[in-house]
Amino acid sequence: MGSVVGGRATRLVGGRTVMSPDTRTHNYLVPAIAAALAALFIYAGAGKVRDPLQIADANAAFAILPATVINMLALSLPVFEIACGLLLLVPQTRKIGTLAVALSSLIFFAALLSALVRGLTLDCGCFGSGAPSRPRMWLELDLDVVLFSSSLFAYCRLLGRDNNVTLSASGSPSRIGA
Amino acid sequence: MRDVDGVLLIALISLAAGFSINRFSTRPLPLVYQTPEQRFDAELTSLVAAPPFALPPAPTIGFPEFRTAVEKKSALIFDARPAPFFIQGHVPGALNLARDDFAHDYQRLSAVLKAASDKPIIVYCSGGVCHDSRLVANALLTLGFSDVRVFTGGWEVWSAAGLPVSWGAVR
Repeated sequence: MGSVVGGRATRLVGGRTVMSPDTRTHNYLVPAIAAALAALFIYAGAGKVRDPLQIADANAAFAILPATVINMLALSLPVFEIACGLLLLVPQTRKIGTLAVALSSLIFFAALLSALVRGLTLDCGCFGSGAPSRPRMWLELDLDVVLFSSSLFAYCRLLGRDNNVTLSASGSPSRIGA
Repeated sequence: MRDVDGVLLIALISLAAGFSINRFSTRPLPLVYQTPEQRFDAELTSLVAAPPFALPPAPTIGFPEFRTAVEKKSALIFDARPAPFFIQGHVPGALNLARDDFAHDYQRLSAVLKAASDKPIIVYCSGGVCHDSRLVANALLTLGFSDVRVFTGGWEVWSAAGLPVSWGAVR
């Protein structure tokens, strides 16, 4: 007798549910991604929260936002990043955390790409302050791609798990939640 | 959609928390962003905005000493009066570092100040009870210039002595 846990096959052996090795990997993959993203976001947020002025200068260097919004972003972004990190650490809020990271990474990516296209050389202030450098901007753009794809992957996995739970609760015979 | 709402809620809470942290910060950010140049201007302006009674006593020099410094060109002389008064007449060799436009004038004269950093600086204003020279002298001391003095007699004493005067555009 088999069933599906988190989209993967399981079978009953001697009255116990045994998951395939692939399933076990996926069960650890999302928490592992979430932990890595949480560490990165808490580190980034903690680095910024001490000196919002530098973040404001870094935001201004992008020449995208008006002066009335720059300081607002500089004050809220570090708290937002730390909050994302904490949400990722708690299983019940992990899904919102992964979505928040995915959306913010997408925004960071768009801002950085626009600066690169316009020929700007700046320090993005992503992890505190540093010297403006275009090679570093490209590196941070790559990092945004990694952050976006990994957080989106984790979000989709968690969304799939929630759908499985919903189906299971509504009486689906062969799928149970992870 | 519920997850997006959650993200928006986190963003709003972060904004509120950010403002609260800023409120109790030792150096809070203003609501509207100021460029580093604007901040420097504001900082320079605030240096010369102290009420006169709160000023520490700046070192002063008398008329003979001031006259010698002017004649030997052994010091940088700054006229702290507003530009229109400077244009009407000033001590020969003096530069206009007006108290009321300190940020602008300081940046205009930064090259001169840097080049003559080893020279003593003497500041004067109208004379009598004027405070502009003391405010400018204290601002310069705060900015790191160590040998700054005030000629308290000011323009009043210099012009009354019948000594040579210069006039014309701000330098």
